[in-house]
Amino acid sequence: MTITPAQPPGPHRPPSGQADFDAHVRAMTAWHFDDRTGSPFWLARRSQLGFDPLTDVTGAPDLVRFPDVSRELRTTPAADLIPRGAAPGQVFRVYESGGTTGAPKRIVDGAYRSRMGVWTRQRLTDHGVPETGDWLHLGPTGPHVVAFDTSRYAEPAGGLCYTVDLDPRWVKRLLGSGRQQEADDYIDHLLDQAREILLSQPVRVLSTTPPLIEAICARPDLYELVASRIEAIIWAGTSFSPESLRLVQEDFFPTARLVGIYGNSLMGVAPQRVRTPEDTHPCVFEPFAETTRLDLVDEDGRQVGYGERGRVRVNLVSEEMFLPNVLERDTAVRVRPSSDGGVDGLAEVASVATYEDADVVEGVY
Amino acid sequence: MLTIDPFVAGESRPSADRGVLADVHGEPLADVGLAPRLAAQAAVNRLRRSADGLPPEPEVFRTAARLFATAELDGESADAYVHRTVRGTGLASTTVRRALTDMATEIEELPATAAADLPAAQLRPTHRVHRAPSGRVFTAVMASNHPLPHASWVQPLYHGYSVAVRPGSRDPFTPRRLAAALLSAGLPPEKLAFLPSPHAVGSFLLNAADRGIIYGNEQAVSTWTDHARVATRGPGRSRALLDVPLTDALLDHLTTSAAFDGGTRCTNLSAVLTSNAVHDTAAALAERLARVPVLPVAEPESVLLAVGRERADALRRQMAKLATELTDHSSPLYGDDFLVDLGDGSFLPRPMVLAADRADHPAVGTELAFPFVVVAPWSPADGIAPLRPSLVLNLLTDNAAITGQALLDPSVRKITDGAVLPWDLVPGMPHDGNYTEFLLDAKGVVTPAG
Repeated sequence: MTITPAQPPGPHRPPSGQADFDAHVRAMTAWHFDDRTGSPFWLARRSQLGFDPLTDVTGAPDLVRFPDVSRELRTTPAADLIPRGAAPGQVFRVYESGGTTGAPKRIVDGAYRSRMGVWTRQRLTDHGVPETGDWLHLGPTGPHVVAFDTSRYAEPAGGLCYTVDLDPRWVKRLLGSGRQQEADDYIDHLLDQAREILLSQPVRVLSTTPPLIEAICARPDLYELVASRIEAIIWAGTSFSPESLRLVQEDFFPTARLVGIYGNSLMGVAPQRVRTPEDTHPCVFEPFAETTRLDLVDEDGRQVGYGERGRVRVNLVSEEMFLPNVLERDTAVRVRPSSDGGVDGLAEVASVATYEDADVVEGVY
Repeated sequence: MLTIDPFVAGESRPSADRGVLADVHGEPLADVGLAPRLAAQAAVNRLRRSADGLPPEPEVFRTAARLFATAELDGESADAYVHRTVRGTGLASTTVRRALTDMATEIEELPATAAADLPAAQLRPTHRVHRAPSGRVFTAVMASNHPLPHASWVQPLYHGYSVAVRPGSRDPFTPRRLAAALLSAGLPPEKLAFLPSPHAVGSFLLNAADRGIIYGNEQAVSTWTDHARVATRGPGRSRALLDVPLTDALLDHLTTSAAFDGGTRCTNLSAVLTSNAVHDTAAALAERLARVPVLPVAEPESVLLAVGRERADALRRQMAKLATELTDHSSPLYGDDFLVDLGDGSFLPRPMVLAADRADHPAVGTELAFPFVVVAPWSPADGIAPLRPSLVLNLLTDNAAITGQALLDPSVRKITDGAVLPWDLVPGMPHDGNYTEFLLDAKGVVTPAG
């Protein structure tokens, strides 16, 4: 068997269709499982796969043959994830998943996320998000990749990205142990910092999370600042119910562009696509087609039909990270590709609108 | 299917977030639009914008009381309201029908209640006490166990508050009808918001308001018990001290105490502490309670509550757990199961009487949403401890010392001294402290003589 040394695809060569993505999958499989170019992480697993990724993988449908290795990212030395074929001198950064349940999972990033960032920036521009000017990222920084991604949206046109650091693991711990007041105090602390930045810096775009948008709306001083100054709000990190989205756009920030980004450290980002007349969902997310497919699957792992809800299964196929067949906790509704082209979309991520019925066992009230 | 949506300041706000309310048979009953936190924020902002603290005309409440009990409101007759509420909550139709008139009476008596709750205002010709709402916005976080607690948010409206109501998940019908009655009667629409919503929104609304009330189980209310701005209405844990010989008349009295309105009130009897033989007492009470008729909730003579399959399973699990530590005096009277399968997807829990072997058994004071009584031994040496906390403490004793201790104990909220029932509506009679004083601030006003 001869192996053609794989080359990473050029930075701006998004596959335009399924045949191209299949070819991309073949090329990337060859790259990651070639002794000269693959990562120590995947090369060490090659013999345990039960199939030969170099000959048996012919396209995207074969990605489900790979095991879901995402759990191993909690303990694997991150350096083992770097492909040997990476360009000499390429600097890699390490990022972590939320880490709110158990140890965080780690990824490495050299140039890939910046390339995805260029594409995402273009999507934001398509939505009318100002191309120039400064940003405020009010959300996780540190080990979380979102702040890095966000700075990539601000910087191409010379904008600065201010940050206020939110530690989601601490908030989760506070809420998990019933320390609501401390969590509220912490959020106020974050909002105070955001206020200082908004008062003194010419910020045009705000990047934050749905709970912090809610908290901003509960603070009249901050709400006035954001409503009068901010031209676009990018939200990510948790889900937002359809009615919440409608209220943010129509009632609270009617003059701002509102764009959601679905994603996480592992899969990358799937920004909201520009709405077309055929779209019934107000907010549909679309992943980076060059490298990513988000399948929505039923309990047996079969893709659900359009309009049906399924669990998110991620396939990330880049020359840096290779993460096939990762089952996420989120569910979403599968949406047809937009009439402008592209891949399947996701809508109504997670289920937020439930008519809760506390299991009242004790007490008549 | 009935569609219910939040409304704020007289304006319906159809929500994109929706949930289906299933009835006790598991059938869809209402398509409910839910208000997420931002909708609640917008509602509070809207209420605050025009909250003036001025009480509406008293006539509004007299008219609303009549309309609530009798009128067709938003296309809903009183009968249709009873039917829906019975399906949603599983309450017996007698309970809901009685609540229609009791609610009307309670609202009509608001002026008398205010007068009875407050001391005289004119202290001297020059010195008087003026009372005004302690804030502008009031939040009511409701449960679904009984319609009557909804009167507790009409009272703040009466005193001038603007009110946001989060209905219980099984009963959006009562506050919806009450709101329709008030608005038809001329309540300024900007004083009211009706917000079916996820659980967390209730906490948000309580924090956002100046005063509030929350009904719920221990878990729901415990966060708020030390919160001066929020009144909590948790499990009543009402109990009786039976320290005299048990007669037929007393058995009737205890049976009614436990089973009135299907045991769904927080004032229903949950425990009997007795100096008589515990097992004999429990057996006698169990036998009497087993005579309460088992009828589908829609029947005019029905008394007992029906529950859906999930709640039935939860009750069965809980009862099995309790039976490992207590002696079950009721199940043997019923054959296999205290839950009657009504064959329509719903289940009817029959009254349960269990006996404990000691006064301080943790099960004493357990309150469930159907006739459920734990009988435990008591001797004068036990004192007041096993009789508290108690929303209602029924004293069937000649022991003056224990009566004195009950009057002194802050966690005993109401005392019935003898074979009398606690739920007659008497204006000024505290249910759980002086609610009017909770709502109003007193300020001194001095004017020149002459």
